Amino acid sequence: MAGNNNRSIGAVNKKGQKIVEPEYLFFEAPRQEFFMTGSEIVKEAIRRASVDISVAYPITPQSEAAALVGELWTEGYVGDYFRGENEFAVMSQCAGASFGGARVFTTTSGPGTLRAFENFPMWSGARLPILINVMVRGVNSPLNIQPDTLEMAFLLDTGMLIWHAETAQELFDMLLKGFIVAEQPDVHLPIAVCIDGFFVSHTKEMVSLTGTDICLPHYDPYRSPVPCMDMEAPPMRMMRDPFVMKSNYISYATHASWQQEVRGAVERARKYSVRYLGGMIEEENSDADILIVSSGTAVAQGREAVRLLAEEGIKVGIVRIKSIRPFPTEELRQATKNARLIFVPEFNVSGWMAREIKSTIDRNHRVIAGPHVAGGMTMPPEIIAEEIKKVMHLRKKELVHG
Amino acid sequence: MGKNNLKICSDLEDIMPPEYRELVASATYGKENRGWKDIGSAKELIEEHSLCAGCPEAIAFRYVLASLPNPEDTVMVGSTGCTSLVFPHVAVHNIHSLFGNQNAVASGLKRALKLRFPDREKDVVVLAGDGATVDIGLDMTLQAWFRQEKFTTICFDNELYANTGGQESGLTQKGFVMKMAPQGKQFNKVRMPEIARESGCAYVAILTVSKPNLVERVLKNAVLIARTIGPTYIQIYTPCILEIGKQSMEGLQEMRDAEGPNDRFAFREFITDEAKAFLADMDEKKKAAAAAKIGTAAPAGVK
Amino acid sequence: MRKRINIRISGLGGQGAVTSAHVLATAVYKEGRHAISNPFFGAEKRMAPAESYVRISDQKIYDRGEIVYPDIIMLYHPQVYTMGKCYTMPFYSGLKKGGLVIINTDHPLLNEEDIQRLEELEARLLYIDATQIAVDIAGTELASNMAMVGALVGATKIVAMDSLDKALQDRFGKKYVASGGTATLDEAIKKKFAKKEQLLAKNLQTIQKGYEISSAWVETFKTPMLV
Repeated sequence: MAGNNNRSIGAVNKKGQKIVEPEYLFFEAPRQEFFMTGSEIVKEAIRRASVDISVAYPITPQSEAAALVGELWTEGYVGDYFRGENEFAVMSQCAGASFGGARVFTTTSGPGTLRAFENFPMWSGARLPILINVMVRGVNSPLNIQPDTLEMAFLLDTGMLIWHAETAQELFDMLLKGFIVAEQPDVHLPIAVCIDGFFVSHTKEMVSLTGTDICLPHYDPYRSPVPCMDMEAPPMRMMRDPFVMKSNYISYATHASWQQEVRGAVERARKYSVRYLGGMIEEENSDADILIVSSGTAVAQGREAVRLLAEEGIKVGIVRIKSIRPFPTEELRQATKNARLIFVPEFNVSGWMAREIKSTIDRNHRVIAGPHVAGGMTMPPEIIAEEIKKVMHLRKKELVHG
Repeated sequence: MGKNNLKICSDLEDIMPPEYRELVASATYGKENRGWKDIGSAKELIEEHSLCAGCPEAIAFRYVLASLPNPEDTVMVGSTGCTSLVFPHVAVHNIHSLFGNQNAVASGLKRALKLRFPDREKDVVVLAGDGATVDIGLDMTLQAWFRQEKFTTICFDNELYANTGGQESGLTQKGFVMKMAPQGKQFNKVRMPEIARESGCAYVAILTVSKPNLVERVLKNAVLIARTIGPTYIQIYTPCILEIGKQSMEGLQEMRDAEGPNDRFAFREFITDEAKAFLADMDEKKKAAAAAKIGTAAPAGVK
Repeated sequence: MRKRINIRISGLGGQGAVTSAHVLATAVYKEGRHAISNPFFGAEKRMAPAESYVRISDQKIYDRGEIVYPDIIMLYHPQVYTMGKCYTMPFYSGLKKGGLVIINTDHPLLNEEDIQRLEELEARLLYIDATQIAVDIAGTELASNMAMVGALVGATKIVAMDSLDKALQDRFGKKYVASGGTATLDEAIKKKFAKKEQLLAKNLQTIQKGYEISSAWVETFKTPMLV
């Protein structure tokens, strides 16, 4: 490519980082331990991600991370960076950069996600492999800045890939792996790596990071299944994305088949997600009668509840969903097949994750949607343990009377 | 991109559509001093216009595309509306993403191309209607100018929302009765050229397409200034003959009637001193180059 | 010591509740033990309620977010009590039996009823004038969070002073990026000291003073601390 240095594996970039195989960076490269916040982790992941362009906009809780990426630009690790005027514009600026063949990273939260919303299905439809780190936050009204996963429910049908990290460690790994999965030629879709605002973004915890001396290979826009808009590749009469506004059968068929293809691409991401995330779900004692199934830090709270209940002799297993799109349908059916009760703790008011699970597994009366907390309220493990005991007791009574 | 990239594999030549073969054989990519006069003698970069018969926007599109200084290295960004019906027929890479976000998309695109091709000029040109530019996308139009993003914004001003059936827009004239303005528009036509000047555009022009020479000059100025100095804005009257009740043949007259010295589309140009100096310098270099050419050509002739 | 220590810090925006939680957690991490710290605040605002939480354990910690059942509560400002600038009311809501309460104040603050409730919970209560200590030693009340951390460690010996020193080096000894308000305060405190080493030294001395006071206070009890 014109004007660029050697971008092949083994080459060294202008910051002295050696470009390595993604698999090496993910699974083999030596790592060192640090104690950091989630925001700092974003900076460290992007430092190693060969990102061309990042666009930022302030909104709590993602502002710190977005500002730190700006520092990376100043340090020379990111090609270009600026503050957009609002999230709708920011996501469009990301789209423009991606259309032009750049690897693009951005972040947003809650109301920002909603303001930007029209862009997300457009990104998918235009097959732009942008990585967005969504640091979830309650959406208005009333105004709220605290963690709440409701906005993820809105993202489910945008055609984007959606992953949900539980910890800062997983955030680091998912940010790097996300680019590689999203950019596969047979996938080539945007990806939302979600974390729970504050609970991960502002929490300081132990993480293990690869060295700063290695980085991911660059994005190659010419491996894209759709042409890059740089006027480099004939044929010349090429529009992204050619909608058909005529009212005839061809126009309906065009839109429908294109949209089906986007869903097909989401499905094709499955094999990469399994490979890179080490499976779409994580299981712990999933042979137990009682399971806690959820994603994000709701699972972290569940793990503590498992400890509390173990002290009382109640055995509870955990199934954690890492990839929400594509959804681990078969994995969940298998992991829950012996469970009698399935609890789905969630940080939102609607219980969308419970809905997803109920629509996936059989005998879905086993699914108990809850406990829920919303608006940033914390979910003490004691509450989850209490809920489990209450339902156990109730179902026992039902059995007696039934 | 060099024009040389545009070659058809000889084995496939016979199955390529004739329009495509024409595009390769006789389009004006890479031609120096290309302009509106090529229309009719060379392959145009616009295949068919797919607009209403007699729509002035169609001829405006042709003049703009014929006048781009480097179409072989130009990417265009459009928006939703009548203009988006034409773009699928345009033979430079172009993007449609959403309604109103054209200047945001162009900002990201221009930066990506600058990053990927640091030693080459890749022009980005936005072309959208008045609804997209001045109403729904106004924030992004202005903010791109504030940030001094280096691309050209062209607004095809037909003074209403045409594609949705003739609703009032910010560029509709005061008092005009339209859909969604049943009692007539209550406020003045937004003074976009002045706003563009105050928002940091290095070059601004407002005109109609009645004079192709003028369109060509303005367009070239705008693209070249955007390349080196800063954002540029062109507002072109492309009346919607359908919605103002004109016949197919009456578009040209409508434009002429709107560009008298005291009319709203009287030709106006704002240009910063820096941009002025740049144009003067470019003219001088061109003259010098032409003189040098004559100078070297003469001895060859003697020989 | 308990298997898990949950510390709830209630302060006001600008007092360094978040910073001191991060310093404390970092110190624990430096000892190879497990810690997690996180802040909770509303709109970034001086003098508005700001809480932060530290969880300390010898086993892996998953729990995060607001601490509902704390072992230790620290109030960084009398207004947390007098004006109810607290996320929970009363401020000791959820306090586990045999807990510890440390309050930054220059006079006995709690009313009879609250003292009685704390007694019922078998909690120990320490008033310490952390602001005065900070002004005396560091010359700025911005260091009162350090005096509070010192008092906590003196009373509980939850982490070694040496580890706190290392954590301070991490936080103030190198370039650190914080949110807008915190960054401004970082600048303000850096201006107070000619050199970075001086800032670190004064912070550590402030911690030490708090440590000495609470260590002496703990000695006055016949039974050991429950946390």
